[in-house]
Amino acid sequence: MALTGIEIYKFLPKTNCKKCGFPTCLAFAMKVAQKTVNITTCPDLSAESRAALEAAGRPPIQLVTLGSDSKKLEVGNETVMFRHEKTFFHPPGLVLRVKDNAPADSLQQQVQAAAEYKVERVGRFLTMDGFAVENTSKDAATFAKAVEAVKSKSDLPLVLISQDPAAMEAALAKATPGRPLIYAANKDNWEKMADLAVKNKCPLAVSSNGALDDLTALVDQVSKKGIEEIVLDPGARDFGPSLSTLTQIRRLALKKNFRPLGYPVITFPGEAAASLDTEAMLAAQQVAKYAGIIVLDHFSPALVYPLLTMRLNIYTDPQKPIQVTPQIVQIGTPKATSPVCITTNFSLTYFAIAGELEAAGWAAWLVVCDTEGLSVLTAWAAGKFDAEKIAKSVKNFKIADNVSHRNVVIPGHVAVLRGELEEELPDWKILVGPREAVDVGGFLKQNWKN
Amino acid sequence: MPVEIPVEKWNGQVHQVKLGGAGGRKELVVGGENTLPFLKFEGNIPHRPAVAIEVVDQPPQGWAEPLVKAWGNVLQDPAAWAKKAAEYGADLISLRLRSAHPEEGNTGADHARKVVAAVLAAVDLPVIVLGPEVAQKDNEVLVAASEVGRGQRLGLGDCLDKNYRTIGATCLADGHVAIAKTPIDMNLAKQLNILLSDLGLPLDAILMDPTTGALGYGLEYTYSVMERLRITALMGDKMTSPPMICTAGEESWRQKESKATAGVPQSWGEQEQRAILWEKITAIGLLNAGANVIVLRHPRTVEDVKAAINKLSA
Amino acid sequence: MSRFIATAAIRGARAIVDEADKLLTDAVQKLGPDTPVAFPNTTYFLPVIYGLTAHKVQKLSDLNWPLQHAKDLLPPVPRGNLWLPYLGETLDAGMATLYAEEIIEGVRWAKGEQPEVRNGYKLNGPIDDVQMRAWGIQMVDGRMPGFAAIIGAAKSNEVAVKIVRELQSKGQLVFLIGNNKGRSIIDQLLESGVELGYDTFTVTFGTDTVSAIYALGYATRAGISFGGFKAGDARANLLYNKFRCFAFALALGPVDDLKYATAAGAINYGFPVIADTAIPNILPTGVTKYEHVVSLPFDDIAGKDDLEKAERLVQRCIEIRGIKIKVAQIKIPVAYGPAFEGEVVRKENLRVEFGGKGGMAFEWLQTKNLDEVEDGKITVVGPELDDAPMGSKMPLAIMVDVAGRKMNKDFEPVLERQIHHFTNGAEGIQHMGQRDITWIRFSKSAVSKGFHIKNIGDILHAAFHNQFGAIVDKIQITLYTDPAKVKDLLEQARVVYQERNVRTANLTDEAVDTYYSCSLCQSFAPTHICVINPERVGLCGAYNWLDCRASYEINPRGPNQPVPKGAVVDASKGEWEGSNKFVYEHTNMAVQRMTLYSLMDAPMTTCGCCECVMVLLPETNGVMIVSRDDYGQTPSGMTFTSLMGTVGGGLQTPGMMGHGKFYILSKKFISKEGGIKRVVWLSKNLKEEMAEELKEVCEREGVPDLMDKIADGTICTTVEQLVPWLQEKGHPALAMDAILQ
Repeated sequence: MALTGIEIYKFLPKTNCKKCGFPTCLAFAMKVAQKTVNITTCPDLSAESRAALEAAGRPPIQLVTLGSDSKKLEVGNETVMFRHEKTFFHPPGLVLRVKDNAPADSLQQQVQAAAEYKVERVGRFLTMDGFAVENTSKDAATFAKAVEAVKSKSDLPLVLISQDPAAMEAALAKATPGRPLIYAANKDNWEKMADLAVKNKCPLAVSSNGALDDLTALVDQVSKKGIEEIVLDPGARDFGPSLSTLTQIRRLALKKNFRPLGYPVITFPGEAAASLDTEAMLAAQQVAKYAGIIVLDHFSPALVYPLLTMRLNIYTDPQKPIQVTPQIVQIGTPKATSPVCITTNFSLTYFAIAGELEAAGWAAWLVVCDTEGLSVLTAWAAGKFDAEKIAKSVKNFKIADNVSHRNVVIPGHVAVLRGELEEELPDWKILVGPREAVDVGGFLKQNWKN
Repeated sequence: MPVEIPVEKWNGQVHQVKLGGAGGRKELVVGGENTLPFLKFEGNIPHRPAVAIEVVDQPPQGWAEPLVKAWGNVLQDPAAWAKKAAEYGADLISLRLRSAHPEEGNTGADHARKVVAAVLAAVDLPVIVLGPEVAQKDNEVLVAASEVGRGQRLGLGDCLDKNYRTIGATCLADGHVAIAKTPIDMNLAKQLNILLSDLGLPLDAILMDPTTGALGYGLEYTYSVMERLRITALMGDKMTSPPMICTAGEESWRQKESKATAGVPQSWGEQEQRAILWEKITAIGLLNAGANVIVLRHPRTVEDVKAAINKLSA
Repeated sequence: MSRFIATAAIRGARAIVDEADKLLTDAVQKLGPDTPVAFPNTTYFLPVIYGLTAHKVQKLSDLNWPLQHAKDLLPPVPRGNLWLPYLGETLDAGMATLYAEEIIEGVRWAKGEQPEVRNGYKLNGPIDDVQMRAWGIQMVDGRMPGFAAIIGAAKSNEVAVKIVRELQSKGQLVFLIGNNKGRSIIDQLLESGVELGYDTFTVTFGTDTVSAIYALGYATRAGISFGGFKAGDARANLLYNKFRCFAFALALGPVDDLKYATAAGAINYGFPVIADTAIPNILPTGVTKYEHVVSLPFDDIAGKDDLEKAERLVQRCIEIRGIKIKVAQIKIPVAYGPAFEGEVVRKENLRVEFGGKGGMAFEWLQTKNLDEVEDGKITVVGPELDDAPMGSKMPLAIMVDVAGRKMNKDFEPVLERQIHHFTNGAEGIQHMGQRDITWIRFSKSAVSKGFHIKNIGDILHAAFHNQFGAIVDKIQITLYTDPAKVKDLLEQARVVYQERNVRTANLTDEAVDTYYSCSLCQSFAPTHICVINPERVGLCGAYNWLDCRASYEINPRGPNQPVPKGAVVDASKGEWEGSNKFVYEHTNMAVQRMTLYSLMDAPMTTCGCCECVMVLLPETNGVMIVSRDDYGQTPSGMTFTSLMGTVGGGLQTPGMMGHGKFYILSKKFISKEGGIKRVVWLSKNLKEEMAEELKEVCEREGVPDLMDKIADGTICTTVEQLVPWLQEKGHPALAMDAILQ
């Protein structure tokens, strides 16, 4: 049974020292209860309290960190099976696999393209998270050289793929102190790989193609070597096995508090896919269903953009409405005579109205007001979408400079604001639009003369 | 140490809904599972999700180039289009009576009768008939469509809270399945099912459309509402247990990412691949959230999504 | 059950079954047993027989079984000296009558005697399947309320026309049947030049009582088509018609045995019978939705002439059947719609205003008995606005009388508050306030388009019917502008407002056994459910217990559901088995228990719309409350927004809780932790806004000077400053039991 904030608070020093970054001990305790902060963030915790709290508050899935501090990838530490129960915290890392026997320049080109890739979505830049270098050549020196080549083009975290401890050691010499993931310890090489992980302070992947029993046994063995940061490869590759196995691992960790499998999972969608699209689809499934690191075999913008979008969607906090940037959005190519419409910056509201304007073939100026991500009615009820706010947006975004008319359409659900808005915007005529976005095309057709 | 595979004991199951199977139409059954999507290790999944292809009753306006290219001339003729869709492997046809929209032709019951009859004659697959999404026109053309397809167990939609009595009664009278659509909200979805049940429509004559948000355009909302609906159904709530249908094609192909040919960031990549993948990923996401029928547009999406379903169901 | 009616109905049934027997025997002899029997254009055979027994009649010999069935149902005529309940017998006699009547019509079709031709006019006879489906859907989806089967003939042709017109205007389908001494309502309408047929929703069945069977055949087929059950499921069919088909029979003129027998048949379908002559009433409800047989002698109906009597007769029929009226269009001279709600009528555009500073205007909605309210009656007592000087003030009393079988006095304030919203929808009309602080402005342009005071009545009549039809059946509005009268009524109204205040104040959690839920916020906070009790408003502040109860009555499938309290788990915490169970089931099993009076143990979850957040301040042994409108820092170290990030989204967080601001005034305000005495810090705006009420509460709780000891943002915003300040003031929380156990 998880502890409540109040129960945790009782163990804290109650000094409100703020060293944890929170204003009071109680505020900190509440965050610990929600498992968004680790109890060890409190520097003044007594040893007994710490022991008592850690036992109760230990994350069921270990947080694993790859890479250096400036470019690190954190995976794991998930607390729920379904995103609506709370949220998914650490988006799976998307890493691109390159082979050490590829010609040096083509390898560097691949790395550079993927490393430099970024795409903007709802005000955020989405990027790839790292590279997996595979020891395809089976040669230690080639492997090490390839790692060097990758590092010369990117400082993103690495996964080193080799079954050969000697090759791994050579590669690690080039890759550390960047905390690469060692992939992988298997039933034959686990001891040496584990030693390498301990020696280089790196996370270690553990791989087994058999039943979860074998994987569990292997994890037990490497844990005994003192390795805490482990990544699992249960060997499941295709759509069906991946879904079943990853679900089972997540359930064991969360519901049964089964420690040996309480680690993030690494997947290789390309190994079960006959085409690029299938690889992307499988990767998309793994984004939703429980992968911690996804190793892609191909990179192209058209392939990665939808995948990154999928990851953004699934890892959005479902309890916090997603916001779009308050601004004037041009729908189509608006002219000085085009309609000016007002909306809120709740993403779904915005998508709905923007989509309907576009679908109805209207070029328009869409004024997106800052309602802290609330929809029209909710924002209105919360006082975040009132006449003053709307007027402020109309003025601040200087929409008057863009249009020759002075007509503005407000959502039908806030018709009550019309009077006040007339006061706030004396130069403007306030038109009350339809209540539902889907009717906006018809409304403009009837009420707007270009 | 042997690991005990954790199995959830669910009390409920998704209703089985039959489409077609009479009047010379092939039978398609969806639903019936008593576990989460594709988790065969813990439950019984008697029917795999079905793939529908969307057909529109008039040449679609503003469709993206890759779609127009893929379908070619059949876009002019819904019957030929449906036939082609069957060749591409559709399990069923979703016919949208777009021309009945007041601003896109405003055709009426007579036209609806003709188009529906033509499509029914062209294919022996089960057929879903959807109105133009204007409640009053929906009532007009769907009642007509219902009569034409009487006894052939079509799907009829959209059945909304505004017009559920009309559509529900029509389904009852002619033996069809209502496509009950609600705006991304679990309670509203459940409420509509209750209202339809009050009308006398059995739960095995309902498919829930939770409203699809495309990838990047609210997918996560649909995804979570579907997971919640499904979990509640498996926990034993009959009123959330009808199978779910998602219009992945229609929603993803509406978006800028699918339509834009130029003037977009280079990081978006090549249009055709991006657009089709947008639809494929929307589809695979929703299938994992519990979609029992997925309505698609591009033939290549149909091919890959079917393959993925087969692998997930193997 | 009336013995008189029972006797007549049973006698009538025996006679008609006997007649059917003779007719059938004769037809079989003359035409042969294999002669086809069918109603035209239907696939439901003889629909009453088919629908209730699944027996398919296709030829004359197929009629033998139903005839025998009718005979078996026939009860003996009650003896003069025997007094029994008779209901079962009468209903059986009614069923036998229906079978016999359908057999008779079947034989008539076999003999080619149907449809009837009357004075050269070919009657319609049974409704064909295509039309049945078209109307059936409209009855199911509510576009058409039901049908009225008129049997006999009206007092005069004018009355006949008036009755039919009134029914048509209410959207009723009208079936025309039978005669009185040879004269039929069909004759009356035809003579008056009334257009009859499917297009005008008037169907001529026949001029004898037997043809009434077509009405029940129609109802039976609609039941099978749209009710989701099969032919032969008699119970389902009869229940469907009782609850879904708002039909009734209206007997015009004397009622003979056959009419009684047919009426008994109709009662099986749940269709009440209203007679415009003096016959015994059968009022106890049961088989029909409301009364069974109602006598409204035409000449006794109040009304200045026959036409008004006819209008009232129809109105009464509508009430008896429980038919809900929808007013499709609000008939006022200006536009109406939600788009006009936010309009402001400014001084320069003001034609006339009511209330406001120095004015006198109020609203008072009252429940009356059904017979005290004349639906749609709108009266202006005193001058209309025409002579009012430009920009002047007039006194106004808006008196709304409502009646309804499900209306409840407790809903009065809920409905009354809607007047604001309804009136505002008219273009050029601005409404503010409520009760005796009502302030209404009419713009020049609205008045120039013809808007009058009376039109407020039109708006309210239509809007209450359309939005509160579930609880309100009749609405009449009286608008007083006569100053003396308004003043007089205002005094009475104020007494009622005060009574309501007291009633609300006295409405305690202990006094009710059901709370209500609100699940509106689950779309973004899936594990949040509000439980709303009389002494605690919803945390958004928008819904109190009465609102939720009314909302449930209006929309029983909506977001407000009854929560049975069940057995007490812990009275001091406000925890019940019923509410726990409800919460568990309605939060996807995420919240196991929820207390209603405690902050520290299983407090209510919080969505995102709460008016206030309450937070434990362990250092003070008390709690602080910050309001949504307070953007400043608080002693918890967090602003309202960041607190919402901690408690919002449907979480149960002991020590923190969202709530409505009026909860602070409740006797149940964190009573487990000691109530208002625990409050050590309160947002300044709340202190000011609710100063009077808070003062009263502090007095009630025996700490009259408490408000002076509660800090706010202008005094301090850190707990380090707060503690010494509280000590200095001697805040009672410091000396209370430790809040943190």
